[in-house]
Amino acid sequence: MDNHHNCWHCGTPDAGSIFCRYCNSLQAPVPNYFEFFGMPLKLSVDLARLQKQFYSLSGLLHPDRYTRRSEQEKRYSLEASSILNDAYRVLRDPIQRAEYVLKEAGFDIGEQRSKDVPPELLEEVFELNMALDELRMGDDEVLPQLDESRKKFLDILVEMDAGLEQQFQKHDAQEGDEARRAVLAEIRLTLNRRRYIKNLVNEVDKLLTARNA
Amino acid sequence: MAYSDKVLDHYNNPRNVGNLDKKDPNVGTGLVGAPECGDVMKLQIKVNPETGVIEDAKFKTFGCGSAIASSSLATEMLKGKTVDEALQIKNTLIVNELSLPPVKIHCSVLAEDAIKAAITDYKAKSATPATAQTA
Repeated sequence: MDNHHNCWHCGTPDAGSIFCRYCNSLQAPVPNYFEFFGMPLKLSVDLARLQKQFYSLSGLLHPDRYTRRSEQEKRYSLEASSILNDAYRVLRDPIQRAEYVLKEAGFDIGEQRSKDVPPELLEEVFELNMALDELRMGDDEVLPQLDESRKKFLDILVEMDAGLEQQFQKHDAQEGDEARRAVLAEIRLTLNRRRYIKNLVNEVDKLLTARNA
Repeated sequence: MAYSDKVLDHYNNPRNVGNLDKKDPNVGTGLVGAPECGDVMKLQIKVNPETGVIEDAKFKTFGCGSAIASSSLATEMLKGKTVDEALQIKNTLIVNELSLPPVKIHCSVLAEDAIKAAITDYKAKSATPATAQTA
């Protein structure tokens, strides 16, 4: 946490993260989304509180309020408003939030190895792809099977999201960076698997929509 | 991005697409996937138990052109090799042969993984007597 800066305007030390506690001038926005919202770095987020905070900050930071203020504050309000919108979009979505925390912790969320998908799921993925292929070639008999698979994968997604929620709580309960990193590594695995399944369901939906169109 | 001629050739005329009987004790099946791109690759080998030579290889890949070409080429490379020779096949060989660009190297890695998985499966099967499998 680096809120301990001096105010750019009046020089008050420990000025505060948004406005200087002494002269009330707008400070340079902190780039970290959690700090920006004044929230602890936790994966479980109180969405109602987040939304309230978003509305209140939107008003306080809006560039229209700074048209008669210094150039510095005009610039800060633009920057802060932009960070605010990004931060809100990311933090209110559990998946994007987790990806953000992973990225900030130095995890490469793009890097993946084939081992990440468990073999028992791979079999089903392969079967589903076979069915998709047959449907593309005009074999309607696979439709019930496809529908069945789709449901199964949607169930898996629901299961994964519940598991993710537990992993979030486990992360938040850890003491110390190392313990937290270990949980983050587990979360990354879940996210990779989730993305895989999600892509697959999207593909089925795309094909079925195109057929029905 | 332009594919090389060799990739296009394998993509348009894939060699050895198909299926071998998974239950055959001489058949090894490797099924691997890359979550990043959603590619899934199934590669099967049929081994002569007397000589250890791979007599047939088949694949089915759902993925991009490079993934299909990599697995198609892999099955070509496998035929006629012994299992131990096949284990020496490295993804770099596939990269060079197909002139894969850096962003597509993971396709060749997937093919190498598939070969290894098929051989592992075959070895596990042949280590278990056929009678014990049905028991």
